[in-house]
Amino acid sequence: MRWRFSRVDKPSRRPEAVSVDETVGSNLLLSRLEDMVAWGRKNSIWPFNFGLSCCYVEMAGSITSRYDIARFGAEVIRGTPRESDLMVIAGTPFIKCAPIILRLYEQMMEPRWVISMGSCANSGGMYDIYSVVQGVDKILPVDVYVPGCPPSPGAFMEGLIMLQNAIAVQRRPLSWVAGRQSIARPPLPSMKDRKREERSRMTVLPNPDIVYPGKGKSDE
Amino acid sequence: MNSQATILDELKERFGAAVLAEQPARDAVPTLWVESGEVRSVLKYLKSETTAPYRMLYDLTAIDERLRSHRDGQPEADFSVIYHLLSLDRNADIRVKTPLKGEYPSLWTITDLWSSADWYEREVWDMFGIVFEGRTGLRRILLPPGWEGHPLRKEHPARATEMEPFSLPPERQESAQEALRFRPEEWGLTGRGEDTDLMFLNLGPQHPGAHGVFRVLLQLDGEEIVGAVPEIGFHHRGAEKMAERQTWHTFIPYTDRIDYLGGVMNNLPYVLAVEKLAGIEVPDRVKVIRVMMVEFFRIASHLVWYGTFAQDLGMLSPVFFTFNDRERIFDIVKAVMGGRMHPMWFRIGGVAQDLPQGWEKMVREFLPYMVHRLKEYDRTIMRNRIFKARTMGIGSYSLPEAIEWGVTGPGLRACGLAWDLRKKRPYSGYDQFDFEIPTAKSGDCYGRSVVRVEEMRQSLRIIEQCVNNMPPGSYKALHPLTTPPLKEHALRDIETLITHFLGVSWGPVIPPGEVCVAIEATKGWNSYYLVSDGSIHSYRTRIRTPSFAHVQMIPLICRGFMVADLLAILGSIDYVMADVDR
Ligand code: SF4
Repeated sequence: MRWRFSRVDKPSRRPEAVSVDETVGSNLLLSRLEDMVAWGRKNSIWPFNFGLSCCYVEMAGSITSRYDIARFGAEVIRGTPRESDLMVIAGTPFIKCAPIILRLYEQMMEPRWVISMGSCANSGGMYDIYSVVQGVDKILPVDVYVPGCPPSPGAFMEGLIMLQNAIAVQRRPLSWVAGRQSIARPPLPSMKDRKREERSRMTVLPNPDIVYPGKGKSDE
Repeated sequence: MNSQATILDELKERFGAAVLAEQPARDAVPTLWVESGEVRSVLKYLKSETTAPYRMLYDLTAIDERLRSHRDGQPEADFSVIYHLLSLDRNADIRVKTPLKGEYPSLWTITDLWSSADWYEREVWDMFGIVFEGRTGLRRILLPPGWEGHPLRKEHPARATEMEPFSLPPERQESAQEALRFRPEEWGLTGRGEDTDLMFLNLGPQHPGAHGVFRVLLQLDGEEIVGAVPEIGFHHRGAEKMAERQTWHTFIPYTDRIDYLGGVMNNLPYVLAVEKLAGIEVPDRVKVIRVMMVEFFRIASHLVWYGTFAQDLGMLSPVFFTFNDRERIFDIVKAVMGGRMHPMWFRIGGVAQDLPQGWEKMVREFLPYMVHRLKEYDRTIMRNRIFKARTMGIGSYSLPEAIEWGVTGPGLRACGLAWDLRKKRPYSGYDQFDFEIPTAKSGDCYGRSVVRVEEMRQSLRIIEQCVNNMPPGSYKALHPLTTPPLKEHALRDIETLITHFLGVSWGPVIPPGEVCVAIEATKGWNSYYLVSDGSIHSYRTRIRTPSFAHVQMIPLICRGFMVADLLAILGSIDYVMADVDR
């Protein structure tokens, strides 16, 4: 690919012939730009400072020093949905709260992602009760589900990394006039299936009656 | 006992036939049935006329009596409304009940006697459909406007899956958003001040300083707060209804999530109440293990408050330090109980398992570390000039105000009264420990901070005494209603095996009766009022939480301050929305 500069007011001569190689080359560049944008998106997620209940405290834990979400470039916590691109549904989605959750989600700009953190947000969890929506996916699309009641900060961050990896391979239109207009999202795997083999190999479980030095750490 | 007998006699003498019956309760709180027409005069008498009056309206709630079978000696009723009063001078409670007849009965309000009755009455209406006459603003408090039915009535479904599946089509979203719109007239607020036009500001339900989904509607004169209306109910998880559906044993995990920063602190009043109903005496080891773990959670909860409160005031680093210390507590919590925030580890008649080998070492290492950290925080937070300027003289209330509004815990002790349930009515063996009750005089944001900070030190002292004096013995009582019973016994004799089997497959059957147990929780007094009808479920569970009363008081204490001060006030109250809405 050859590059040339030209002045704005004096357009230079157009190249006479465009070779096949060159066409390929320019396309290749386009796909690399997509990669770069995806890479940028992946590593600079701005989460929305939004908590519903107990799970939020563990999410807040992931921001503080022991877990330090900044290691994954996601420490810019925003107080307004308009500046953020990740909404973590950390807690119980209540019927009284559902319209508020949806409104906040709608106020986020595209591209935006949602992590459903904890059993309540995933499915209602232990709260099959009149005032609770049985899973936040009844009202908005969810990208990653993190199980746990509450998930430890480590589990939340694993969910975040999974989302990041998904963002890295997602392809979105770079312009609204040219190219593909749809979003290509590779399907997300079920970790239960993926980890089953490894988990079933585990035969020796730690004895709950002994404190293992160094193993008392909150998050393995 | 004596003063209780006298107050009953006093009331009977004075109100004669209006006193319908006396009801023995398992918790020995004098309980009296009064005709609904006379309740107000009885309450008024108790509040202001008798000697050492009952000034605090501790709780106001109701029971749907229609399906209850064990009501020996109680007057006929479809519903009953219960007023639980407290006298700090006497250190005594009294429970006044009134029987009501009919599908949707009504009775006269007591908001003119206690301003704090407002939210409690709204809650009773919301949950039971009992109407309070002679007052305004009887509207939904926990459930969204437009909700059909009253959930704590026995005919209302408990499960979401028994109801129509929830969906949020655009029309519904539209109407819900419309219902959220703030119309000042509806709350009795006007836009005209004496000689200025007032402004309205809607803070929340999503606001980082609101500590949860919570809304305060503000009426402002410039930056100054003239009026405020807190709106709650965005966090109502129906815990009380849940208790009627879970067994006595399987309700324990739900208690953890009431004050979700308090962990097993929430288990304690519940298991103590069930044990009182069942007549279980736990071994000393259980008591001390419980005390140690709840004190750890008191520190953990106060640490979250410490960091976030400092953050509310603009200090960004403390939260990183205090959360780190909280992680250290969680290291111990996890090693002992296996969980972090919600260990749900206490059991009816004991705890889930014995302490693990090596626990002392972890605890002993933690204590000096934490003492040192607290010293450092004194220097960096409490003595910080900006911190002081933002908290001293802000959001203060007097002791009589605190009592009038049902304020308990650090908020009460910050007004200069050393009233702590651990000392005044020792439970779980607190009378055996040596510790002080910190107080402050000012009743402002700074005073509340001083009390909490000092409380952490006292908790460390208590924990130290626990490590040094952990009694030997079993981690479970031998009582047949201990759930689950000790496994060794279940493996050896058939009786225990049968109880074990029934307890696990069906659930323990707790003898009929009523009991209320309160403890000094992280945020104030948390109590469980349990009504057993002799089955595997509770007939009615009332969870009285401190945050509910404290949040109701916000309009009173923020008047005249700036909007920025409101955030300091909210932070200093240290509420948790789950503790407000349950
Ligand atoms: S999943 Fe568990 S921890 Fe999370 S909000 Fe629900 S109850 Fe709380």
